[in-house]
Amino acid sequence: MAPKETIICIGCPLGCRVTVIQDKKGNVAGLKGAECKQGQKYVLEELKNPVRTLTATVPTGDEGFPLLPVRTSLSILKTLLKPVMVETARVKVKPPVKAGDVILKNVKRTGADLIATADWPGSTGEG
Amino acid sequence: MASRVDVAVIGAGPAGLAAAIAAREQGAEKVLIIERAEQLGGLLPQCIHNGFGLLYFEQDMTGPEYEKAFIAKAMSLGVETRLETMVIDLDAERGITAVSRKHGYMRFKPGAVVLAMGCRERSRGAVGIPGTRPAGVLTAGTCQRFVNIEGYMPGTRYVVLGSGDIGMIMARRLTLEGAKVEAVVEIMPWPGGLIRNEVQCLHDFGIPLLLESTVTFIHGEERVEGVTVCRVDAERRPVEGTEKSYPCDCLLVSAGLIPENELSRKAGVELDPVTGGPVVDQNRQTSVPGVFAGGNVVQVHDLVDWVSWEAEAAGRAAARFADKGELKAAAGVRVMPGDNIKYVVPHTISGREDVTLHMRVTQPGLKATVKAGGILSKRFRSVRPSEMVVLDLKGEALKEAGLKGELVVDCEMRGGG
Ligand SMILES: Cc1cc2nc3c(=O)[nH]c(=O)nc-3n(C[C@H](O)[C@H](O)[C@H](O)COP(=O)(O)OP(=O)(O)OC[C@H]3O[C@@H](n4cnc5c(N)ncnc54)[C@H](O)[C@@H]3O)c2cc1C
Ligand code: SF4
Repeated sequence: MAPKETIICIGCPLGCRVTVIQDKKGNVAGLKGAECKQGQKYVLEELKNPVRTLTATVPTGDEGFPLLPVRTSLSILKTLLKPVMVETARVKVKPPVKAGDVILKNVKRTGADLIATADWPGSTGEG
Repeated sequence: MASRVDVAVIGAGPAGLAAAIAAREQGAEKVLIIERAEQLGGLLPQCIHNGFGLLYFEQDMTGPEYEKAFIAKAMSLGVETRLETMVIDLDAERGITAVSRKHGYMRFKPGAVVLAMGCRERSRGAVGIPGTRPAGVLTAGTCQRFVNIEGYMPGTRYVVLGSGDIGMIMARRLTLEGAKVEAVVEIMPWPGGLIRNEVQCLHDFGIPLLLESTVTFIHGEERVEGVTVCRVDAERRPVEGTEKSYPCDCLLVSAGLIPENELSRKAGVELDPVTGGPVVDQNRQTSVPGVFAGGNVVQVHDLVDWVSWEAEAAGRAAARFADKGELKAAAGVRVMPGDNIKYVVPHTISGREDVTLHMRVTQPGLKATVKAGGILSKRFRSVRPSEMVVLDLKGEALKEAGLKGELVVDCEMRGGG
């Protein structure tokens, strides 16, 4: 039997379960179960390039504001979520930080920066 | 209070902020937000994930980013805030009693009030799981606060009861932080949250979603040591012989939200037993004149964008009330939930102006047509109770229909879920 993979389309609340049919060489030979064109496009993209935005926190060492929330500036490959997480636990930040500031450039060579999503004025400022 | 408050807003979440901004823009001079927490933003500071603002800003934002845009706008418009201040009473004449450590006790009567108190989470008690009372049972939102704000992991191995968005988002967050999430357990035959979250929070990380199942027992003396999970039958009763135990040191309860309406009750605001929130008209005015409501206090929203829009309507109307001392109820037509519709908000409309109806279906289904009387029908490929259905009705069409008394909204389906 040809290998199969199922991808759930997130395009609308229907959540079609789309079966990807592959030929012997592993190329996509067809899709089954998508109710619409938009869904087929999504599934093909998801097969080729499954990307997600990572959101996490970075420890600050500031008792009044222990964690700085961060995100990747672009969506990154699903498989790189964990490696980037490891970096967020290691990185050192110093106040003041403003939302949008780059915390790590091109994190783990994903092409995305790790950016702050909130302000951290530090102990001098009042939240 | 030294000077008169035109519009007082209770709660500084996305609803409160949007209502206050809209009230100022509508011309209310002095707008005051009262918030019991230390900071503005309500739940948003702890919602560090993205998925906010896709409709409102047409941009994928995190909770803190979404909140920041509204806080900046409120500040630039001169909205006043009182933090760490809890409103403890509201009477039928809009009299507010609030207490704070800094300012003590205060009583005042604003020109109009906007209720924006949000929701609270259903706890283990509300769900009623038997077993011991060990440490390690907490709601998903509480856990989110610990992990995202305070930097504290409450456990290492988790079972999540309930597949609402908060539960699924926490399952992913905890996994990324290095914890093991054994399963997400859902009593209904379908997940309680958005498809996007089912895929990106559970499937991406191989976290099992156990549908038509529930936690029937919590084990452990001092600390949770595990839970028993059972399948349920069509009546949601555990099926004997299907017990399976899952070792874990934390049980997260994500079993839904309940609008926070203690104050509304005190003021004598009529509540809808289905939504758990006030009965409101098109302007989001409640049954108590001059008391308006918006956001999760009215109905549990799944998207924050609708929270903001709904609260803006409430804020604008509150400013008009404060200015004129009255605002006729937009209650010419009562909107009634019909076939497969659980509720519709607002409960009454003027029948003359444009209006947006928010509703939830009772059963999921395919090829659905949602019909508002004979005025509008809209087709949906599918509908699910977890995803709010929204209908925009045009004032012209309403006037033309010359509605008398009520408008029934039905959802017809041609396929099962
Ligand atoms: C965990 C979680 C995850 C979510 N994820 C998403 C998402 O990904 N995308 C999305 O679009 N939406 C999401 N939502 C939904 C969105 O965050 C909520 O709909 C929104 O926060 C509701 O706004 P609100 O202002 O009505 O209530 P809240 O944000 O709850 O604000 C209510 C405020 O009122 C204050 N208050 C209550 N009672 C009093 C009182 N008596 N006196 C003074 N102050 C009081 C509270 O302290 C609180 O600050 C999520 C919600 C939760 C809980
Ligand atoms: S394939 Fe089309 S119909 Fe099916 S979930 Fe995706 S967008 Fe919806």
